[in-house]
Amino acid sequence: MNSSMLLWAVFLPIIAGALCFAIPDRIKWLREGFTAVVTLATLVIAVLIFLSPEMRFQTAELGFAPVKFLDFYSYHFSSFLIMFVSLFGFLISLYSMKYMEGRGRLREYYPYILLTVGAANGALLSDNFLPFLGFWGIILVALFLFTTIGSRDASPERIFDAANKNMMILGGADLALIMGVGFLWYLSGSLTLSEVSIPLHGAMAISAFVLIMIGAIAKAGAMPMHSWIPHMAEASPASVMAFLPASLDKLLGIYLLSRIVLDFFELNLSMSLLLMIIGAVTIIAAVMMAMIQHDLRKLLSFHAVSQVGYMVLGIGTGTPIGIAGAIFHMLNHAIYKSCLFLTAGSVERRAGTMDLAKLGGLGRMMPFTMVAFFIAALSISGVPPLNGFVSKWMVYQGIIEAGAAQYWIFLVVAMFGSALTLASFIKVGHSVFLGDKPREIGVVKEAEHSMRFPMVVLAVLCVVFGIFAQLPLVYFIGPVVGISFPAFPAAISWTGIWSPTSGTILLLVALAIGGLIYLAGRIRVARTAPLYIGGETTGEGTTDSLSHAPGRLTGLRDTRVLGTEFYDTIRNMEGLKRAYDKGEAAAFDIYSYGKHVFPISEVLKLLHNGRLANYVSWCLWGLIILFIVMASIG
Amino acid sequence: MSIFPLLFVIIPLAAAAIIAVFYRVWERSGDVFTNVANAALLVLSLALVPTVMKGEIISYDWGHSSSLGIHFSIDSLSLLMLITISVICLAASLYSVNYMERYTSKPRYYILLMLMIAGMNIVPLAADLVNLYIGIEIAAVACYALVAFGVEHEYLEASFKYQIMGTVGTLCILPGIAFLYRMTGSLNIVELHGILAGQGLTPILLFSAILLLCGLGLKAAYMPFHAWLPDAHSTAPSPVSAILSGVFIKVIGLYGMIRVFFCIFEMTTTISWILMVFGSISLLLGVFLALGQWDSKRLLAYHSISQMGYILLGLGIATPLGILGGLFHLVNHALFKGLLFLDVGSVEMQTGTRELKELGGLNQKMPVTGITSAIASLSISGFPPFNGFWSKLIIIIAAIQAGYPWFAAIAAIGSILTMASFLKVEKYIFFGSLPEKLQKVKEAPMLMCIPMVLLAALCLGIGIAFPWIIDVFIRPAADVLLILGS
Repeated sequence: MNSSMLLWAVFLPIIAGALCFAIPDRIKWLREGFTAVVTLATLVIAVLIFLSPEMRFQTAELGFAPVKFLDFYSYHFSSFLIMFVSLFGFLISLYSMKYMEGRGRLREYYPYILLTVGAANGALLSDNFLPFLGFWGIILVALFLFTTIGSRDASPERIFDAANKNMMILGGADLALIMGVGFLWYLSGSLTLSEVSIPLHGAMAISAFVLIMIGAIAKAGAMPMHSWIPHMAEASPASVMAFLPASLDKLLGIYLLSRIVLDFFELNLSMSLLLMIIGAVTIIAAVMMAMIQHDLRKLLSFHAVSQVGYMVLGIGTGTPIGIAGAIFHMLNHAIYKSCLFLTAGSVERRAGTMDLAKLGGLGRMMPFTMVAFFIAALSISGVPPLNGFVSKWMVYQGIIEAGAAQYWIFLVVAMFGSALTLASFIKVGHSVFLGDKPREIGVVKEAEHSMRFPMVVLAVLCVVFGIFAQLPLVYFIGPVVGISFPAFPAAISWTGIWSPTSGTILLLVALAIGGLIYLAGRIRVARTAPLYIGGETTGEGTTDSLSHAPGRLTGLRDTRVLGTEFYDTIRNMEGLKRAYDKGEAAAFDIYSYGKHVFPISEVLKLLHNGRLANYVSWCLWGLIILFIVMASIG
Repeated sequence: MSIFPLLFVIIPLAAAAIIAVFYRVWERSGDVFTNVANAALLVLSLALVPTVMKGEIISYDWGHSSSLGIHFSIDSLSLLMLITISVICLAASLYSVNYMERYTSKPRYYILLMLMIAGMNIVPLAADLVNLYIGIEIAAVACYALVAFGVEHEYLEASFKYQIMGTVGTLCILPGIAFLYRMTGSLNIVELHGILAGQGLTPILLFSAILLLCGLGLKAAYMPFHAWLPDAHSTAPSPVSAILSGVFIKVIGLYGMIRVFFCIFEMTTTISWILMVFGSISLLLGVFLALGQWDSKRLLAYHSISQMGYILLGLGIATPLGILGGLFHLVNHALFKGLLFLDVGSVEMQTGTRELKELGGLNQKMPVTGITSAIASLSISGFPPFNGFWSKLIIIIAAIQAGYPWFAAIAAIGSILTMASFLKVEKYIFFGSLPEKLQKVKEAPMLMCIPMVLLAALCLGIGIAFPWIIDVFIRPAADVLLILGS
């Protein structure tokens, strides 16, 4: 075990990515296999790094500033994260073999996966800001390039618009991050991540905090820097969504945010409140937007934004348990959200669409996908005993421990957001997997093995990290925040008591009893009743929903319960309608404010009217101003 | 005393003479001799790296007094400029072989090009102000002719504007030098530094400083002296545009300013502030203007103003880190802006237009141009692992470290806008859908692709190996300014 392993974890995938470009299109199995093997090897290296004690690899300090070209440092936080980054890289490359089959620009797609894994490992391991910023930026470039590949159903203009938006929002945030790092250097005199620690006093320290925070939350996708994720979802393959915005970008963004709070600064009340407000607003606003989406990818992407709110909220509490909860939620989110995107991808591959109104009844034909979907969906909704519940519970604990009585509002918002998430996913599950199959979709098969495997692995992780939550808490998260969690199988006994294992047993018993009651009920003569779907009317008869259901033969009544009527009801609910109208008009999209730059440009263009006399007079004015300035100051 | 400095002038002049004699006999003589001469210049400049970058100064003197005669010297800053000139000019001359087929009288083009290169080489070589001035004028006159090379209405108009404005600049530079000579009795840069060291500026010296700042600022195209640049740089043939934006404005404008304000006058707070303010104004307004352009070459031309602003901002900070960042950005900008002009040139040649709105989807048809332009766009927008990222990072961080957070913020905002405008270029030329009439477009010929790939490789290579590049090339050059400036 020596420290050159750290180099391998970063540069093995990067160099392999460069080689992968050279593999010609004719032997594509080699390219796919190569990518899977390399990501698997990276995973093995990452596990070895995780198992060994802290390691450091660094080059000599560069002459012009206290920076190093490479400075890798593995400790509990970074080493467990690179393990998951490599795992996601491996699962996505497996999944892509079949999912991306027959699409264009595959020659670039696989190298980008490798490049992203390497750069993400590099950013997580870097202990000096210079390489950190470099790797951080490379991830964005890879995201941009990934986005330009685009999905099948989007036009080239739409695809590039999405890529454009990624670049503008995240690139702007990266510049904010660079400014923040500059301030940090000015204040602390060091550019080494593990050495920087300053109190949060004065305007400069506050601006440094806010600027770095902008960099972090934009990557993670919290409001108001979130709008790139839904836009990207419309134009990207599900595998890319599962890989970057759903998992890697969350890991990186929340990693940076927790480093800010844990290491760089000592959080004060106002900044803590700022983070909590950002978190709470993100949870509720994004889940409200998710409720009204008809496109599965876009719906999932709004949930990906909403869930970031929990992480930001948890970190904002500043309590160890809240931060631990946030980091655990980050991990859980990466797992269940990429699982959800992957199931959406296999639905798309088999049914040919992700429009909820055109889907239905796939559960019987795609059992694996359905089970994986429901596990992940229950997990994201925070249903015990799955992992999402445990981490959300910890975030709630953090809010309570943060002390102030007024914080109940955050608690309410977080819980309400969770309920809405559940509502939204029940509808999705219904309209995709249950209900009746529309006529347009023929007989479909379950996804291939190479696609099934990643979904199953992630779903199993959801369950394991839920029932045996002690494992990740003790081995991954405890050391980061300095809590020693009680080991398995004891209850995790901080203030509130939730013992995942015994809790699960109790739940199972309850379910069994419920099942018995249900069976007992079956013995009685069944009573038929009209279909009740939460007060909504079915597709039958309502012109509104019929107009949304395409491809119907006129004259034929479709009695399918679409499950999408719900969204229209919410969409047009009194009081919410205005907010939704604004949301759809991109009033909450920071990117849309960019257009106000163009008038300045037009005014300046008018000044440049091509008349030489004007131009020469500008020179004279310049000369005169210089004279005045120099003569008066000297 | 060494003959090397003289070779930098003799080789291009000789090539020009040979082409003038042989082109009637041998049609290809221009193509061959220009490229051979430029390759020779590159080899020569690289051969000097081991000695000069260690701190040795190679000089050549002809004539007895310190004011008359030819006085050349190569220190590490000069060599940095010479290498940059050679790289960009070699790329441009390779590119010209195919590209200039569209124009008549290609040999004349080559002769003018070699004259311009000779003039540009004199500037960094010059050890005294008169030689500096002569170099500036030779290069400028050749450049006026090259801008007008298309001899149609717009070419002539651009060239005319440039001549008038260039002459205004000359009108400032020459009296500036004269006043300086009158007050000190010397024209030699090192001597001047010795004479002026330690004394404050008398009114006449101040006057001369302002005149030089204004005149050289005109050549370097800082706002508000920039107005000639968009016309001249967008109408010139693309390889010439690459040279103009890539190295020309830096050599005949910025280099003079560096020499005058770091090596002759002492760097005072006032001058430092003036440079930073000039830099920030150019940086911000230049990129705003670029955002609104729909002519791809004009857009690039406005970006040159903006990027020159970064360089001046870095130099104006005048801390070791700031100067380092400024010089590094100078080299980087030469590479990616040169590359961008070559890319746009090949698009113009293959499609016949440079209007962004008429193009689209060319990535499918012109992969080499597409990939190299993406690399250049990422570089200029400041994304790792490309070279522009590191120099911008150094400039922004240096500004903060020197206690100018607002200038750092301006640099960051400028960078966001640069990004926006290059995403626009990429969107309208290379991504999006291919218009019907461009279905038959082909990739540019091999000889045009080679220099593009070369420059793109340099953008990536310097971006990855930046510590080494800074150590070998940039820091020795920055040290020259720091030793003299302090």
